[in-house]
Amino acid sequence: MSSPVLAVDGLSKKFISAGQRVPVLSGLTLGVHSGESLAIVGRSGSGKSTLLNLLCGLQKPDEGAITVVGESFDSSGNSDSDARWAELRRRSIGVVFQDANLMPALSLLENVRLRAHLAGLTAGGERDWLERLGLGAEADRYPDQVSGGQAQRAALAMVFAMAPALILADEPTGSLDRHTADEVAECLFTMQRDTGCALILATHDTALATRCDRLLDLSAVKPSGAG
Amino acid sequence: MMLVRAFVSHYRRHPIQLAALAMMIVLATMLWTGVTVLTDQARNSLFQSEEAVAARVHVVRSDGEPIGVNDFVALRLAGACIAPWLEIQRPPPEGRVIGIDLLAMGCFGDAAPGGEAGTLDGAPFVDISEAVRLSGEEYDSRLYLLAASENPALPDGYALREFSLGPATGELADSFLLNLDALSLLVLLITGLLVRSVHRLGIAQRQHSFDLLHRFGVPRRRVRQLLALELVVLTGVCVLPGLWLGAQLAGMLGGGFGQALDSLFDVTLYAGSTESLPWQAAGIMVLLVLAVCLVDWVVPQTWQDAAVSGRGQLVAVAVLLVGLASVALAQGLAGVFLGTALVFAGTGWLTPGLLAILAQRRADGAEVYGTGPLIRWRLRELAVMFRHLALPVVALQFAMATVLAVQALVTTFENTFEDWLAQRLEAEFYVQVPPGADASLAAKRLSELEGIGPWHRVIRGKARITAGDSGKAMGAEGESVSADLFALTPIGDLVSDWTLLASVDQPWQNLERGGVMINEQLARRHRIEVGDPLRILLAGTEASTSVVAIYADYGRPAGEVLMSGAELPENFSARFESFSVNPGELAMADISEQLGSIWNTPEVTVRDNASIRALASQVFSQTFLLTRAISILTLVLAAVALLIMGWVFFTTRVWYFRLLGIWGLPASAIRSQLRRLSVTLTLTVTIAALPLGIWLTWVLVSRINPLAFGWSLPMDLYPFFWLELGAIAVLTGLVIAQLMRRQLVHRVSDKQVEA
Amino acid sequence: MRLFSRFVALLIAAAVAACSDSSTETGFAGLAQQVGEVEESGFQQPQPGDTLVFPDDWGPHPQHRIEWWYLTANLETSDNQPLGLQWTQFRQALKPRAVESEPPHPQTWPLEAAWMAHGAVSYGGEHWFEEKLARGDVGHAGATVEPFRVWLDDWRLEATAGSDVWRLQVKGDGWSYDLRLINTGDVVAHGNDGFSAKSASGEGSMYFSLVDLQIKGTVTLGDETLKVSGVGWFDREWSSQFLKAGQQGWDWFALHLENDEKLMVFRLRENEGAFVSGSLVGAEGEVEPLSGDEMTLTPAQWNESAQGRVPVTWRLKIPEQGLNLTIAAPSGDYWNAGLYPYWESPVSVTGSHNGVGYMELTGYRD
Repeated sequence: MSSPVLAVDGLSKKFISAGQRVPVLSGLTLGVHSGESLAIVGRSGSGKSTLLNLLCGLQKPDEGAITVVGESFDSSGNSDSDARWAELRRRSIGVVFQDANLMPALSLLENVRLRAHLAGLTAGGERDWLERLGLGAEADRYPDQVSGGQAQRAALAMVFAMAPALILADEPTGSLDRHTADEVAECLFTMQRDTGCALILATHDTALATRCDRLLDLSAVKPSGAG
Repeated sequence: MMLVRAFVSHYRRHPIQLAALAMMIVLATMLWTGVTVLTDQARNSLFQSEEAVAARVHVVRSDGEPIGVNDFVALRLAGACIAPWLEIQRPPPEGRVIGIDLLAMGCFGDAAPGGEAGTLDGAPFVDISEAVRLSGEEYDSRLYLLAASENPALPDGYALREFSLGPATGELADSFLLNLDALSLLVLLITGLLVRSVHRLGIAQRQHSFDLLHRFGVPRRRVRQLLALELVVLTGVCVLPGLWLGAQLAGMLGGGFGQALDSLFDVTLYAGSTESLPWQAAGIMVLLVLAVCLVDWVVPQTWQDAAVSGRGQLVAVAVLLVGLASVALAQGLAGVFLGTALVFAGTGWLTPGLLAILAQRRADGAEVYGTGPLIRWRLRELAVMFRHLALPVVALQFAMATVLAVQALVTTFENTFEDWLAQRLEAEFYVQVPPGADASLAAKRLSELEGIGPWHRVIRGKARITAGDSGKAMGAEGESVSADLFALTPIGDLVSDWTLLASVDQPWQNLERGGVMINEQLARRHRIEVGDPLRILLAGTEASTSVVAIYADYGRPAGEVLMSGAELPENFSARFESFSVNPGELAMADISEQLGSIWNTPEVTVRDNASIRALASQVFSQTFLLTRAISILTLVLAAVALLIMGWVFFTTRVWYFRLLGIWGLPASAIRSQLRRLSVTLTLTVTIAALPLGIWLTWVLVSRINPLAFGWSLPMDLYPFFWLELGAIAVLTGLVIAQLMRRQLVHRVSDKQVEA
Repeated sequence: MRLFSRFVALLIAAAVAACSDSSTETGFAGLAQQVGEVEESGFQQPQPGDTLVFPDDWGPHPQHRIEWWYLTANLETSDNQPLGLQWTQFRQALKPRAVESEPPHPQTWPLEAAWMAHGAVSYGGEHWFEEKLARGDVGHAGATVEPFRVWLDDWRLEATAGSDVWRLQVKGDGWSYDLRLINTGDVVAHGNDGFSAKSASGEGSMYFSLVDLQIKGTVTLGDETLKVSGVGWFDREWSSQFLKAGQQGWDWFALHLENDEKLMVFRLRENEGAFVSGSLVGAEGEVEPLSGDEMTLTPAQWNESAQGRVPVTWRLKIPEQGLNLTIAAPSGDYWNAGLYPYWESPVSVTGSHNGVGYMELTGYRD
């Protein structure tokens, strides 16, 4: 197996709550390879979203090191780390949230194009991505003109259109009904397989979690000294 | 109680919104109160001054000779109730004074000067003996004999004429006040829009809690009542400091305003004539706030939807067209003001939609690839902002248009005034020829002086002129008309810069050869054109000549004839003579000493035109201080409102900027997008304000001015000021971007943190 | 008209620096002022010993502050209804001028003197009054000696050429009169050869009268023109100060008695008491000055009027002359409502003698 797309070593993060520093993550170590999918589960407040934020550079760890697509970051937060993280998010890391992944002023197609443009891709084919996700007819609609499931599928189209090495999905089906959620999940896993990228998925949904290759329960790896 | 707490909690969570609403109301009340106090004072003063000029007719001699003291005596002895009115035209800053004889006005009875305005304190009335003393030989003076009634028994040889003081004082000042009123109404409109926009924003944010209350069983009517009560309380609380500030503003500007009225219109402002705070202004404010905020309950939703629909837009276009037409065609000021209001309404109605469509079009036209997608996104966001910030956008547009028009008007006035001054004060020094002194000797001496700059001798008097051919009737009954005569010798550099509205080739040479020039007013009033033959009666001799040029007179109402001094008949008796002198290499003191020795008088009256000019300009700037202050305050208010609104509105869009960051756009690039967005917004508003502002300038200069003043100003545009305004817009945009950016920074990825 | 009063008050105040309260209180006929101020102002003040100079004294006295030409007439219409009329022309100088110096040029609209004319007619219980104002030296108001002429606008009293007859023409709003006046008596010099003391301390005025005027003419009231005839009384008086400080007003009476005697009495009301003086002109024209201790003049009946309480009936007793008179105004309101309102009415005389006359009361305004 090749070197991991993502390698995390001794990652710790604390939050200040009511004047006290409360550890959320402590000494977490993991690695994810291309084509591999990892589900992060745990009860609310266990640090799922925090972990995802740390993995895409939106938050800084207190301790530990992260290596993504060959780029290494440690807790010292070098002056250029923000720029490197941004570059990674533009080209290599796709992020999907529970909702509001789309610019409301742009049509689905325009959203995909914008994302692709940011990823530095100039070739066409954005419409193909939408078609592959079953949104060919909705390509010129605006986010408020499509259903929640369609919007999430469009968000997936955007992510895949940028040809990412790693997808971070935070409760991507959290606001959808069962049926739609299954549809979206199906799309996600199919595409992930097809493109061979790595996927890290934070979810409460055990059905969704069990579709992943591996599972990390943050509640179970409760850091020492915590509650 | 719980209900009230639920109401208040919104503002506890959004104190800035409350502060913005309160500030709008305070500022609006302040502006409105300030202007109301000032215009009320001015109106009172004006009314009193008009009382002082109750006479509407004056007596002239049938033989056309100027009226004199003898005529006054003869008429009074014959039992006619007439009173003298001696006008002295002095250059600013003193301005015009009018000499009257209150004793003679006694026979006017109750129609005579009554009220407080007639105090003989030189503003503008003085006792006629004092007026004579003031005028000396130096200034133009003209005696009128006012008659009390339309039909006094007049002896033979006299006739009645309408008495008007050139452009009537009352109308001038009325128009000034009318303009001010219109301006303050516009301010009121703008602030109304702003209050509404802030309030509606709050309502939108609170809609959810209102729905919740409704679900908890609170009737919607009760919610509305509470909302209205909240507004009444808020307005009531804010109106008080507004009133106080307005009174302070009026007090601050009152001095300059009073001087403006005084110097422009001879209306004395009686400070403090409004003793108490203008409570009616408070009432108007409360009504305004309630009206703009609660209009949604009155106007059916279908109407509101229709207003922004295609059919609504059509109506707006119709309103705009009707407004434009009525401004262009109106015969009276009221029509022009109404038309202007319609144009503003139509424009305000259409602008946000049009700008949004424009942004949309530009977005659609952006490249599909390359940087296109980002530009497209930004323009789409801009379109959204135009729609959501429609009210403050329109307010800013109106404010900018107003500022632009006021600036153009004031500058036009200023330039005209400068030209007028330059024409009247053409040389550096002005030397008065003492009565009885020989001006020819002095002229000879001046021509012999080595190193002296350009100079000329001005001989002033009266002339009667008749159009040379029979086709043109000069006066109402075809008689000749009297005009002020200016004879110059030599004709040189001092006058050749005059603005000639029309002229033959080589006008000044033709003037030297016996032609005459006439002023704009004379030409207009009697439809005389360049090249027209003219008969001119001077000292009993009639000569034929022709008009070689018409010169700009900048609104001086009296007819003027300018000719070469060499063409004057021998026996012409000058009313007054003077020299305009640029000393050149010589010292003015030496020149005046030489003149003094010729005239055998130790004291030669020398006027330093530069100082007069400086004083005049100073008075002028004070004159328009108020107009400028109001329009700029409005602009500031509108800009601040847009700022606040932009900020508040941005809270609903901040996520999408963050999304860009998540998608890997560097922070600096996001800031740049923000700046571009907000600067485009304010700049576009400025550009949208330009046509409206230019149109408003045209209305002020070419419609309101002629209707109110009787003469029109040249319409000039000042693109440099547009640039200044653009710079202000850019600055506002940058400040908005800065405020947005703070939100972006302060709430980094809390969306994720919350999860 | 408030403005005018203010203006005139202002003029006067500026010219004489007098207390404006007392000036409005005491009216045009004099200003409460110390003699010293008169001297400082440059105006001449008549002194005991000053005498009359004719014909000059018919004309204006530019070195004095105030003077008037004053006619009252008790006339009857052709159907014997009593009709009283009055004409006065005042000159109020703001600046003294030597008699010999040239007047200022009319072109300058000078304001060295103001003129005021009053005309009034009292008939059938009604009273008509009008006031005219003018500045002096312009030409539409003035007085000359040769020919004798006193005029303000189209109101004029003038000697008709080649006769002893004077003509007086006055035209008010809705009323007018045109009278011929013939003097059948001598000039009556009041006081001490024309110096008429106005206070115990010696201030006074120069004062003479024509008391035997025979008058004929017409009075037009509205559309009605009445032929009138009767007797008149003409006063010339000038001074620079009439009322001194502490004097509140005066009561003046000019009476024609049935026995052909004429009587002039005035009373200047002071803070304490009054200064009373007068002249009795006998049927033959002999003049007897009357001093205050020879007579008593007291109000007998007061009437409320629109402008104030006015004594309309008087008792005059001059025991040495055997005179015990009741002087009464007819019913009606006889205020002359000009700048300085005063009461002036014809009167009838009863008691020891019957007669007619005129009464002028100043300083009764509320």
